[in-house]
Amino acid sequence: MSYITGPEIVKYACTCGLLKPLPELYFCRHCSQIRCSFCLCHAVDSFFCGKCSENIPSAEARHKKNRCANCVICPSCQQELSTRVASKGPINPDDAKSAVKKSYYLSCHFCHWTSRDVGIPDQPSATGCWPERENVHINRLQEVLDVYQDIMLSQQQQKENSKKKRGKFVSYTDRTGVTASALRRRIGIPDIPHAKIKKPKPLDPAIAKSEVEELPEDIFTEPLKLMEITTIDQRLMQPESQPLTVDKLFPIHKQLTIKRSLRCRTCEHNVCKPEYNPTSVKFKIQLFAYYYIPEIRFVTVEPLRAGQTSELIIKFTNPTQHQTTITIFDLDLEEQEKYVEEQKLFDIIDNFEQAMSLEEKQQLSLPSLVMSSGSQPSSMYSLQSRQPSVIVKPRKINQAVNCNVAIPESTFILPPRDDAAEYDDSSDVHNIEDDPKLVKWRKSNKAFIKLAVTPAADLKIDDEVVCGFTMQHIYTNVIPAIVENMPHKYDHKVRVFFRLGKIVGSE
Amino acid sequence: MSTYQSLSSEKLTVVLDIGSAFTRFGFTTDFAPRYIIRSEVRCKKTNKLRKICDYDSADDLYDMLVELIHIIYFKYALISPKDRPIVIVESLLCPTLFRETLAKVLFLQYEVSSILVLPSHLVALASLANDTGLVVDVGYKEAVVIPVCHGLPILQAWQALPLGGEHIHSHLKSLLSSSNTGIQNLPENFLEDIKVRCCFVTKSSRVEQLEGGKPEYAPPPDVVYPYAGTESILVTGKVREKTFEILYEEDNDHLCLSTMILDAILKVNMDLRQKLAENLVLIGGTVMTLGFKARLKEELQKQLNNDRYKVLNIHEFKFHTLPCKENYAAWLGGAIYGATEFLSMKAISKDFYLREKHLPDWINLKDINNTVSRTL
Repeated sequence: MSYITGPEIVKYACTCGLLKPLPELYFCRHCSQIRCSFCLCHAVDSFFCGKCSENIPSAEARHKKNRCANCVICPSCQQELSTRVASKGPINPDDAKSAVKKSYYLSCHFCHWTSRDVGIPDQPSATGCWPERENVHINRLQEVLDVYQDIMLSQQQQKENSKKKRGKFVSYTDRTGVTASALRRRIGIPDIPHAKIKKPKPLDPAIAKSEVEELPEDIFTEPLKLMEITTIDQRLMQPESQPLTVDKLFPIHKQLTIKRSLRCRTCEHNVCKPEYNPTSVKFKIQLFAYYYIPEIRFVTVEPLRAGQTSELIIKFTNPTQHQTTITIFDLDLEEQEKYVEEQKLFDIIDNFEQAMSLEEKQQLSLPSLVMSSGSQPSSMYSLQSRQPSVIVKPRKINQAVNCNVAIPESTFILPPRDDAAEYDDSSDVHNIEDDPKLVKWRKSNKAFIKLAVTPAADLKIDDEVVCGFTMQHIYTNVIPAIVENMPHKYDHKVRVFFRLGKIVGSE
Repeated sequence: MSTYQSLSSEKLTVVLDIGSAFTRFGFTTDFAPRYIIRSEVRCKKTNKLRKICDYDSADDLYDMLVELIHIIYFKYALISPKDRPIVIVESLLCPTLFRETLAKVLFLQYEVSSILVLPSHLVALASLANDTGLVVDVGYKEAVVIPVCHGLPILQAWQALPLGGEHIHSHLKSLLSSSNTGIQNLPENFLEDIKVRCCFVTKSSRVEQLEGGKPEYAPPPDVVYPYAGTESILVTGKVREKTFEILYEEDNDHLCLSTMILDAILKVNMDLRQKLAENLVLIGGTVMTLGFKARLKEELQKQLNNDRYKVLNIHEFKFHTLPCKENYAAWLGGAIYGATEFLSMKAISKDFYLREKHLPDWINLKDINNTVSRTL
């Protein structure tokens, strides 16, 4: 587990230039590129409540303001509240038949807050129609909003009318006398565009008062009861009322959670799509890099001394069903920079922007279309249901390397993953001829590799040592649809960085 | 009515007001933000919370905003930002770097269809249905006063001073460390809670007693505030009373919160001064403190006797009471504007942004010339 949550020792460079550990990366099979959450397009897939695991349709979620109708959380400590039964004794104790009347209240197991503390009466049903607080200003605000909406609507229509009148040419329908407005004009009635337009009714503006709320006198004499005053977090949990004292805290409906799907911005294919059912942890589409890119784990390294060569042992694992060959190359950061430069297909020369040093260097997926569309938005845009994505600008890898890795001359092979091999002791025989200088040991689809690393000579004690190399592996494409026009197997390169540890003193 | 509107997905537009301390967001047609969250993101390298406003460079800000907006959309708002409009409420004095980076994040990273940028001081008046008012925004970083006359912010009369939550927190911190031995680095969230729960803005008559060391001055009761589990901090009555005093301490230029307001009135046309003085609107989180309005009124009256403000010929100040909490007043204005056709008429579309490569701004001469030529 510490491998997942612990310090990030081995990091892979995403196509966009960010460094992330392998479990956080995705691999788009259609573009054969590594992607990460930064350069993918996120979309909300389905809503569910994290407590009762109930799936909620999006229309209902919107209606309920993205909150679960049944689950409530504590306004004091934000933990989930549970419903408790308070049974009142039978109304008539002598009569054995009379049923025990049950009533329910809410209680927090964590901070012992109960709905009785704030005077909410016990409810007769367990699901409880807990009383909701209304905004006291809602009528006035609705009135204000309606008036503003009317004003803007009439303004918009006026604008449209003035546009119509400006037209030099009489439209064809006008000449034939078909339209109502042409008829009106002929018989001399002023042109009324829409009967619907009503003049916005005037609204009385709020009146300012010279009297203001005075500071209560007892604040200077009464001791402050700290336990009765809410903290700022408790207040902001209920933005509408923002209660100042604890007795005005009301239970809050639990916020819904979502499942997200991720889409590649270049090819518009999904790289991750969860299953609809909230209780299911499976995915419909899961193109995690973990399943496609050989995993590298750090095994051990000799004590690191500035300028001296140490032996580094790392473990390679092949997660795919296909044999792959791994070659280690020099970490060519300049090449990556070149790639980043290439992506900036159109640079915008704009004096103001350059002065602000905020120039946009974006490659659009359809640059020619956007540029040619000029002042008029292309009609193609409106026809498409989805707009083409804007590709996130790749950036230079922001990681300094201060340790040299001796690049091995030979390559090595990783056999395909075989789940059965784990239980099979006899099959530990390989017909692979390895370079003994490179491969230390191997078992099924794993290989332990020896590398010589030399930290830079000018490092001081306790400096962090970072090294890196480019790993090339053979990626086997298995999607039938695109196998025809793409090579079945090809080399895929990925830059890998290691945090080896700190420089220790000399012996 | 509003129920059916919120059901249709097209109407669902996020209104965002990124303040320096808190970010308010919700949807148009709502009358309160859904959430008010801290404008902080966790730094990936150091694993510490960082405030958005403490950015080092444009790239750093870009990354932080990507993170914040991701949290807002996918943890709280729960809608996909792609191809939807968004309403941004921001101060007229918002740095160009910040608003350009925000636009870049929204258009390029989150692919919103259009952005409607609204000036916070102007829209704060929307919930009052009033078109003239002197808007005083006391936030976290600074206090900004901008008069709005007949729906137009009078920018030449703007006043701003670094008087806000941040300044008050540092003052409270020094007050607390001087009265409690051995307590040095109190975290800001803790100071904020002490400020909100214990401190208040006192009356000016008591300040005279306090400073003059008069015998009739009796400090308010002390508070023992729990700290770090087992320890506790003594918040003395004097500290409770004195924390907010820095808002009215005149600096070397003889400027404080009350003079800012009067200076702003002084800078507008003579005919409007009386009307502005009778339409004071206070917004921002700091003005919600107990006794803030009463003290501000006292201080304004006191300053009127000053020779500098004799020419004003104002005798009375009137304050508006907002139909909402002050800390989301500007957000509410944005939600009201965003719920009207204004959104479709004035929003900056993605096509426009990709063509022009920047967000139009009042300070940019190029945009001003463009709008002038367009109207001609």
